[in-house]
Amino acid sequence: MEKAYFGGLQEKRYMAYFDVPEIEYNRYSNRQLAAVPLAVLAVALLVLSGSFLVYGTPVPLGMDFAGGTELTVQTTASADEISAAFDQQPESVTGAGGENQYIVQFASTDSQSLREQAESNLAQDGDSAIVQSISSTSASFGQGSQQTALMGLVIAFVGMSAIAFLLFRTFVPSIAIVISAFSDLVIPLAFMRLVGIPLSLGTVAGLLMLIGYSVDSDILLNNHILRRSGDFYESTYRAMRTGVTMTVTSMVAMLVMGIAAFLFGIDLLASIGIILFVGLAADLMNTYMLNLSLLRWYKFEGIRS
Amino acid sequence: MNPISAVKSNWRVLLLVAFVGFAVVALFIPGGIVADNSVAGNESLQDNPTNLEFGLGLEGGTRLRAPVTGMTAEGIAPDAVSDDGQVDQNRIDELEATLRGDGAEQLGLEPANASVHVQDDGTVVAEVFTDDVSDAEFAAALQSADADVSEDDIRDGVSQRTRDQIIETIQTKINAAGLSGGTVYEQTTPNGDHYIVVEVPNMGSDELRTILSERGVVEVVAYYPTESGNQTNETVLTGDDIASVDPPRQEESRPGQASQGYVVPVQVSEEAAPGFQQQMNEQGFTDPNEGMGRCSLDTTNGTVDFDHENEQYCLVTVTDGEAVAAHSMGPSLAETMRSQEWANDPIFQMGAQNQQDAQSLSVNLKAGSLRAPLDFGESQVYSIEAAHADQFKQYSLLIGLLSVLTVSGVVYARYTDTRVALPMIVTALAEVVVLLGFAALIRMPLDLSHVAGFIAVVGTGVDDLVIIADEVMDEGDVSSERVFQSRFRKAFWVIGAAAATTVVALSPLAVLSLGDLRGFAIITILGVFIGVLITRPAYGDILRRLLTDR
Repeated sequence: MEKAYFGGLQEKRYMAYFDVPEIEYNRYSNRQLAAVPLAVLAVALLVLSGSFLVYGTPVPLGMDFAGGTELTVQTTASADEISAAFDQQPESVTGAGGENQYIVQFASTDSQSLREQAESNLAQDGDSAIVQSISSTSASFGQGSQQTALMGLVIAFVGMSAIAFLLFRTFVPSIAIVISAFSDLVIPLAFMRLVGIPLSLGTVAGLLMLIGYSVDSDILLNNHILRRSGDFYESTYRAMRTGVTMTVTSMVAMLVMGIAAFLFGIDLLASIGIILFVGLAADLMNTYMLNLSLLRWYKFEGIRS
Repeated sequence: MNPISAVKSNWRVLLLVAFVGFAVVALFIPGGIVADNSVAGNESLQDNPTNLEFGLGLEGGTRLRAPVTGMTAEGIAPDAVSDDGQVDQNRIDELEATLRGDGAEQLGLEPANASVHVQDDGTVVAEVFTDDVSDAEFAAALQSADADVSEDDIRDGVSQRTRDQIIETIQTKINAAGLSGGTVYEQTTPNGDHYIVVEVPNMGSDELRTILSERGVVEVVAYYPTESGNQTNETVLTGDDIASVDPPRQEESRPGQASQGYVVPVQVSEEAAPGFQQQMNEQGFTDPNEGMGRCSLDTTNGTVDFDHENEQYCLVTVTDGEAVAAHSMGPSLAETMRSQEWANDPIFQMGAQNQQDAQSLSVNLKAGSLRAPLDFGESQVYSIEAAHADQFKQYSLLIGLLSVLTVSGVVYARYTDTRVALPMIVTALAEVVVLLGFAALIRMPLDLSHVAGFIAVVGTGVDDLVIIADEVMDEGDVSSERVFQSRFRKAFWVIGAAAATTVVALSPLAVLSLGDLRGFAIITILGVFIGVLITRPAYGDILRRLLTDR
């Protein structure tokens, strides 16, 4: 396999800093390959259903969906002093991007009273306004957003599945895409529950993006194996070389964006970045273990029956 | 090679260059491609080195979403409209009376809080704009006027006409408050709830809320003694009777009298003027020996204090049920009214305590009253200081650059050949430039969610370029044009399929009104299209030049 892949550029030896390793797939049976991702999926589903039974929701709901108020305050007061400055106990006080900036979250939706309390009880930092930003969502509005978001996710998933079936027109390869995409969504959701990241508009956008992104590598793999001539393992390796490069590039970009946005206190970008990072990692596993084992079964055994 | 064939074989690259050039003009040349720069002179625009426009999250301001308070019964009186569309106005009035009247079963609502009208499709709609009435009471009141309605027919919310009127009024109000760039629109959720959305740059949430929570129902009430000597109130002018409004000004002080504050000069409509004139004469306001100039009511804390000893002849300005100013009839106005000449040129001054009140009175008169109040209990508010928003702008630029650098680093690490990696990065950036140019061209206000979209576009863009590069360079030499074309086409199948799934996955967000995410979805989808149609074919051409022996 270490032949010349680079055609016209061959004079320059192929010496990448990171290269996609060739996995010796023929050492593992289909069952062995599929077991790992399926076990992870089962654990993730268990986490979500357990959380549903205990807390009433599979994932913690953020302010966008549960209602509440979030203030960004600029003050010389400490986090403890900020907590004490309000009649209502804040849900959380976290440092934001800038110096002396804090994000304070409340379950209460009385944004006017919270703003007044902040302005009268917190020490001003220089000339800056104390309340830098305020955002408040009523519980009923959040309820509506929840339904809308769920509907959006379902439509997106069904649409994606329909495209998968249209593209390959055979059951096993198409369902392989749908199952790995499903797992790509469920694993980050379980991750959110375990780490305590609340579901927000940003994470929903991340999940939708994930449906689009994660399917790319599955389509690439199916395409190489089913629509190209050549040895199964050689096609697999070629698809992996491209697909892993794609996914790893996106993962690194999303990680950098997530961490930078988190440090700067930009929630929306931070949650999109983290969710995509986790989801794409799950996608690596699902594509090259679950999807691949289904394809191999289909190619060597399923196609004959 | 002659020039024509050179253009022919490189047209994809040339197309990309043209698009980038176009985008750069749209981005950086003031006025750019949009010749009619309608917002020229706006200061925030001049500070901006590009033609990009920024939304609330990156510019500062407030957005408020709230539903309208009220409930509605539709199709209640088929008998009021005949088959040929003739409306029986008496029947409509009768229905309206049952909502306003004080009788048993009737609701006794203020005129502003109840409405019955005929919709375009000929159905009759009754609405009440308050939370104080239950579904059952509303239905019972309508039934008492023989309307065809039961409690189950009552739904929350108001009619389309009412929402349209509210949007128009709020738009006038925020324009009149001297705020440029404010927008008001309606948003409908998939489960049929309607929200009024108000977006105003450079305004705090409490300020906007004050403007919106004022209903702005203005009346002029005559306060005078009847023949029995008791003081009485009578509404003599309502907001509807005012034809035009001048800006507020300080009242000219009259000889022997201290200035009484501010006034808003208004012109009374032709229909209302003679009636008003007659009422003033009959009630004794214009008689120099009776009511002229005889008003000495004081105001405390912004409301008129009705505690007094002498007889009073006052014209009281009432806003949202609160008496905010009381003025007497001046001698010159009284004279023209007495001589019946006033109605020919019906100019009149409404009083206010201070400049701020006068300003808000003027706005309320111009905009008319809010047809129904907004329900702030169900609202969503987002407000951000300009300074903080500016911080976000810098941070998101930084995050964008960091992401691009990271992607470039990974791509270089993977290929270690600048001939492959560099065009890849440049092409992906070109895609972002074209998108930015497009955003500047259509004046799309950019927000944080759009920034996320741009980063996603770089991500999907590079992914697709990786597919093209790997496919084309696969399996040995790309010696001939034909080999290249066939491999490129194969790569394009995967790219097209991947693009289709991304578009399908994000299109619900572009259509559904899910808060701030619309921008993210729109930018990402646009990016996918620009990528598939323009930048990726161009990258193929670049790669071909580098790889084939031409």
